[in-house]
Amino acid sequence: MRTERGISRRELIAGAAVIPLAGCSRSERKRPRIAAIATIYFKHSHAQHIVDRFLDGYGWNATHHRPEMDLVSLYVEQVNERDLSRERAQRHPGMKLYPTIAEALTLGGSKLDVDGVVLIGEHGQYEDNEKGQKKYPRYEYFEQIVKVFRDSGRAVPVFNDKHLSWNWEWAKKMYDTSRELNFPFMAGSSLPVTYRTPSLEMPLGSQIEDAVCVCYGGVDSYDFHGLETLQCMVERRKGGESGVKWVQAYRGDNFWKAYQDKVWSHELMESAITRSHTLAQVREGFNDYLPTIDEMKKIVKNPVAYHYEHEDGLRSTMLLMSGLLRDFNFAAHTDKGLFSTQMYLPMPDGRTTTASFFSPLVANMEEMFLTGKPTYPVERTLLTTGLTAAGVESLFRKEAKFETPHLSFHYDAPEKSTYWRT
Amino acid sequence: MKRICVIGSIYKYLTHVQHMADRYLIGYPLHGRWHRPDMKIVSFYVDQRPEGDLTAARAKEFGFKAYPTIAEALRCGGDKLAVDAVLIICEHGEYPINEKGQKLYPRYEFFQQCVEVFEKDGRSVPVYNDKHLSYSFEKAKAMVDASKRLNFPMLAGSSLPVTWRLPDVELPYDCEIEGALMVGVGGSDPMDYHALEAMQCMIERRKGGESGVKSVQLIEGDAVWKAGEEGRWSKELLTSALSRSDTPLGVSEQDGRPQDLVGSGQLQVLVKNPAAYFLEHHDGLKTTLLMLNGAVKDYTFAAKVKGMGLQACQFLLPPTPNVTYSACLMGKIEEMFMTGVAPYPVERTLIVSGALESCLTSKIQGHIKLDTPHLNVKYLAPKESQHAQK
Repeated sequence: MRTERGISRRELIAGAAVIPLAGCSRSERKRPRIAAIATIYFKHSHAQHIVDRFLDGYGWNATHHRPEMDLVSLYVEQVNERDLSRERAQRHPGMKLYPTIAEALTLGGSKLDVDGVVLIGEHGQYEDNEKGQKKYPRYEYFEQIVKVFRDSGRAVPVFNDKHLSWNWEWAKKMYDTSRELNFPFMAGSSLPVTYRTPSLEMPLGSQIEDAVCVCYGGVDSYDFHGLETLQCMVERRKGGESGVKWVQAYRGDNFWKAYQDKVWSHELMESAITRSHTLAQVREGFNDYLPTIDEMKKIVKNPVAYHYEHEDGLRSTMLLMSGLLRDFNFAAHTDKGLFSTQMYLPMPDGRTTTASFFSPLVANMEEMFLTGKPTYPVERTLLTTGLTAAGVESLFRKEAKFETPHLSFHYDAPEKSTYWRT
Repeated sequence: MKRICVIGSIYKYLTHVQHMADRYLIGYPLHGRWHRPDMKIVSFYVDQRPEGDLTAARAKEFGFKAYPTIAEALRCGGDKLAVDAVLIICEHGEYPINEKGQKLYPRYEFFQQCVEVFEKDGRSVPVYNDKHLSYSFEKAKAMVDASKRLNFPMLAGSSLPVTWRLPDVELPYDCEIEGALMVGVGGSDPMDYHALEAMQCMIERRKGGESGVKSVQLIEGDAVWKAGEEGRWSKELLTSALSRSDTPLGVSEQDGRPQDLVGSGQLQVLVKNPAAYFLEHHDGLKTTLLMLNGAVKDYTFAAKVKGMGLQACQFLLPPTPNVTYSACLMGKIEEMFMTGVAPYPVERTLIVSGALESCLTSKIQGHIKLDTPHLNVKYLAPKESQHAQK
């Protein structure tokens, strides 16, 4: 698949305005009603973090914010002894549990009866495929959602947590369906919208020479977050996002060899690392020492890099360096010089009890549900979905360069910053 | 290359001396680079050297010398002041605690010894004093007076005013503040000091600058909740400050859900021994520090600003061991050492040192309101923001 012509955000919004979204006119209906579709709901699961914010409110705009909408229905596929969805439904009688996705969307009736859908296909028991991708049923859930849309003759905005599907063809189909039915569609990670330290935005129209993200975690997991970290910044470059030509993964010894060969910039890698708050310590008695490369080799047991070239020549690199740090750090060479920041994602390891980076994610969903306009383009996540799968593919093919003509599509970044600043 | 002398109380892993002074030995993260200062620590004085002392190992590795007295450290064993700047880091170590619960760190005494050398040798150099100046306002005032008399740049205080803010909120210069409230946690007197100084760095930017503190009062226990009911502190501001917390406890800790601790009434359940520090400023501004152990684990601030509504942030204290907030502070200290100009006024720390002392006096005198004519400390904040933004 190759999109010959890019899809601009302005066109999307203009398109969305052609057919008014039923149920979204705030003057006609009091408060939007939202359905949440989740794989599983336990402490610190994505469903808990997201749905709880609709139910209990959260810190936003310098107060305890309560969304101007009601999460009225919840479908949870896997319920085990750690489940919290039952407790939530009991404590919040306005939210009902439904045994099927269709019923959650129709509120037990025959037609779509909600004004927005949150799809959270993260965590739970699902099989891995031979490439190590967990087969979360996001596509399957989405198909059931759009079946209700089609059967009801109307569609409402959908937010899909994380990437679209582990399977590129399915992810693309999700995207195409949202265009076909013309409903606002957002997706992605908290990384693009969380706090940044420092609180910096890539100026729109910047010229970017190369970009790096140094982060941690596993393949088909946090690699996606690292890619979203990169993408939300580089998409703001001059000309917008041009698409990606190829992806090359490196792992283990090949990672260090690629480092040696300067496949990615040493200066950018170091700059990103200096933004970390959690640098692992290799020297006894020191608390914040920058390890040398030889020392990093000892503590980073299984490093992974996804190095890729965009259509306009930009080279981006996502580095998973588990063992070195526990945060997401971005660096780029731009026409203004060296640029770097951390996307602040504290884990509930003592740094936070509430994973507050979900707050800006929910705030962005809310805005789409209220206005019918996505606050950032789903094409970003379509691309990072494809990049995640391409990285996995390259690793699976013994770290062969993987051509990605299917990722050769253009989109424009939103003018307005959408990360957490208020 | 600037030559630095460090005067410390104790040099063990994760003490202030270690995580601050080490940054000038091995570099530190600053503005997106691993910054290696154009400075060299040449001498050390360490007051207490129990088991775990790192002084000798560091001296050997980095080629500085530890001296048995402060004067010798400043003169590097010679007969004249032989350094270009002094870091006094008197935090941690064994020192007595007085009836107010203040740890009697000899910061004034260490500082005085530096001043004596400056006077005898006819030359003064910039001095940074870690944390508050002294447990005693009188001594703190003498320290600041000495720096003015001998005309050397002096900087002091906590990392909180210079660390990252979530979100990156700065009150506009010359704004009109209708009320301000700070939430802190931890023990007294170390952590209440940090919280007071965090609040001070925000409110000092108000119209007319800092006007001095007219009176203080510290109350504890149920009286704190009662004062809230009576409107002595603002629930709206508390809700606002707590909306910036990443660490609500209670049910959030149990099952991850966010909470409105004030609206739900859980605050009273979680906080067994709250304390409220009330400060009344000469220009009429009233501010409150609430120490809320049991409710949260972080430091948050909220103010109501005329024409802007609620402004609130968290002062981010990144985790141990890296405690990268101290890198932010070392950057500001280096700035003074390199330029000879303190990036923010030492009067901020002076007024906070004195306000804290008076609050603790209020506490042991039956939580009475105390007039504080001695805290008539007036100063203007720097226009340019000084916290981590780059």
